[in-house]
Amino acid sequence: MSALALESSRVQEQTAAGADRKAQFEKQAVLGGLRQLLAEKYPQAEQRPGGVFRTGWPALDAREGGLRRAAVTELSGGSGEGALFLHEMLRAVCREQCFAALVDAARTFDPTTCAMPALARLLVVFCADAGQAVKSADLLLRDGNLSLVLLDLQAAPLKQLGRIPASTWHRLQRLVEQTTSALVVLTPQPMVESARVRLAMRGRWTLSAQRRWRNELVAEMGVQVIPRQREGLRVVEEEEELSA
Amino acid sequence: MYAVLLLPNFRLQAALRFREEWQARPVAITDEASAKARVLEVNELAAREGVAPGQASPQAMARCAALQLVAQSAAQEAATQAVLLEMGGTLSPEIESTGPGYVTANLHGARTREWMKMGTGVVDALASLRLTARVGIGANPDLAFLAARQARPVLVVQTPTAFLANLAIHELEPPPDLLAVLREWGLHNLGQLTALPRGELMDRLGPEAARLWERAAGRTERPLRLVRPSEAFAESCEFEHEVETIEPLLFLLRRFLEHLTTRLGHVYRVAGQMTLTLKLANDGEYARTFTVPSPTAQVEVLFRIVHTHLESLRLEHCAVAMSLRLEATLPERQQFQLFESPLRDPNRFGETLGRLAALVGAENVGVAQVLDTHQPDRFRLEKPRFHELGRTAPLGEDLAVGLPLRRYRPALSATVQTVRGRPTFLFSEAANGPVRAALGPYRASGAWWDNEVWAVEEWDVELENGGLYRLACVAQAWRVEGCYGEVEEAETIPQGRIVMMPGIRKAGEE
Repeated sequence: MSALALESSRVQEQTAAGADRKAQFEKQAVLGGLRQLLAEKYPQAEQRPGGVFRTGWPALDAREGGLRRAAVTELSGGSGEGALFLHEMLRAVCREQCFAALVDAARTFDPTTCAMPALARLLVVFCADAGQAVKSADLLLRDGNLSLVLLDLQAAPLKQLGRIPASTWHRLQRLVEQTTSALVVLTPQPMVESARVRLAMRGRWTLSAQRRWRNELVAEMGVQVIPRQREGLRVVEEEEELSA
Repeated sequence: MYAVLLLPNFRLQAALRFREEWQARPVAITDEASAKARVLEVNELAAREGVAPGQASPQAMARCAALQLVAQSAAQEAATQAVLLEMGGTLSPEIESTGPGYVTANLHGARTREWMKMGTGVVDALASLRLTARVGIGANPDLAFLAARQARPVLVVQTPTAFLANLAIHELEPPPDLLAVLREWGLHNLGQLTALPRGELMDRLGPEAARLWERAAGRTERPLRLVRPSEAFAESCEFEHEVETIEPLLFLLRRFLEHLTTRLGHVYRVAGQMTLTLKLANDGEYARTFTVPSPTAQVEVLFRIVHTHLESLRLEHCAVAMSLRLEATLPERQQFQLFESPLRDPNRFGETLGRLAALVGAENVGVAQVLDTHQPDRFRLEKPRFHELGRTAPLGEDLAVGLPLRRYRPALSATVQTVRGRPTFLFSEAANGPVRAALGPYRASGAWWDNEVWAVEEWDVELENGGLYRLACVAQAWRVEGCYGEVEEAETIPQGRIVMMPGIRKAGEE
């Protein structure tokens, strides 16, 4: 074969390869455009790869669709609001016919006030301190069998909470990302750096609340939902939106 | 047709199944019950060095200094015989435990006629359990036994006359005196023996010679003494030295499980329960039974369950022997419902529960079961059985009243001032201050008919600072049972500071 023929075949091959690359670029561009279009049209779906766990709490479900699965949600507020939230989550677990775990760092959970069918679907872990509670949550997330893991640190002493290293929360986030579980950390004040959503609950209760239906109290409780987005390694809070 | 499954050097194979490290060394099995610990069986390496069965241990050691003497283990031999019986049970329901390392199966009901393939399958299956087997198949049990002894590793006797003709007479193990007479007559193989007339042989040498002639001709028929394969799937091992650490136990456990699950697989069963027994150096015993949440025959799953337990196990004495027993059960068939979310992996969940129990204590993990009493805070944590829980009835409308309580465990002792029985001032570790409003008393009592009589008077109070608490008065002693809502800037009393309690207020000021 002559040198001219060889050169000609090489040019033809290069042209074909260039056409392939161009087709791939065009395909990627079309796919990118479609993804962008979907993200603009359905922003919530784009943010929640693991889906959501419907809580039945109108204020929360309307804003977020529920608790994000495969993500950490932090609920900060008073211990009374936290207890009310736990009881509502028990009802949600029963409604969804799934299983949940409550890791109680200060042994304050009172099952005698809960409905029996809901208790049958709840694994309770009473811990001696906050450190033990975090380890227990770690084990439960690695297990991956439960739809909802509630880590209740609200009644734990602040001194104990201060000893939890920030890297712990990132580790829990990495773990929960690999499951379809929703992890909710109940804290007295915002402290979970890796939380994808922060809930702030405020309720001003007086003794008259003890004579009212609990679902009325739930409906009255203010819930502030603060979705957070990742910017590189940082997690920043979106513009706050108040819903009640 | 009959099949004989034979384990040559049975005692040696039983003793060395879980001791791979000895396979490359000269080993002799000794009878510890005899006066000089006579050698019973030897492996090939020991035989090459001149060690032979029947020698006393010192004689054997004199022949081979590197000889490893292993005591005969009745438990391991029984386990190995059980394996052989199980394997026989896969061929036919009519099996006989003919002798140690020797099982006969009646193949008359067998569907297949591919005897060679069947025999090879048995040999391979036993090889997966680290047992070297030979299989002989013949028209009657004795013929099958002779075939098994000649098999390398499988021999099917199609023409008994031709097979028997070349066999040496001593293969039939006749009485020594009879064998000597036959040798004097110049008879060495079974063909020569059967060439003689049976009646005249019996006239000269007696009925024993007639029986020998019948066997040599392959005409003996005998009924099998039928046995059932044991359903105990167990393995055991006695250690040469006391074991102090977990690693050797785990190594052996994995081996046990590999063998046991293979055996379970042969009978289409899975493990529903495991019992681990450790014999201790002080002649004590540690036993623990593990229930497998979702019965399985997967080695990794079963191993993790035992491993998790052993990790947190502390014993005062070393282990000298270990055994593991699996309870066989049928595989679970579970059809997942469309709208249910059952546990994906019940065994993994069971393992996680074990880890949690090791971390926080078994009494602190479980599903809360409220006791049938009106006494406050009476419940117990039970082992969850989520995988057995079906679809539960949906909760109706929430009829709960008031805020849920967060209990202080244990309850905090408190000093409470009262006016006409109503709390007016609270002083405690959790909160203190004047009581703005109080609901109560909620009185309850019970068990007055026995020694555990109880009575309590409860109050829900709201302090001036906004905190909501539950107080309880038991036997004139006040305590704070829990809170419904604390205030962030609750006034707390530093330790050691003296606080003056306010005086009793006027009536109507509560």
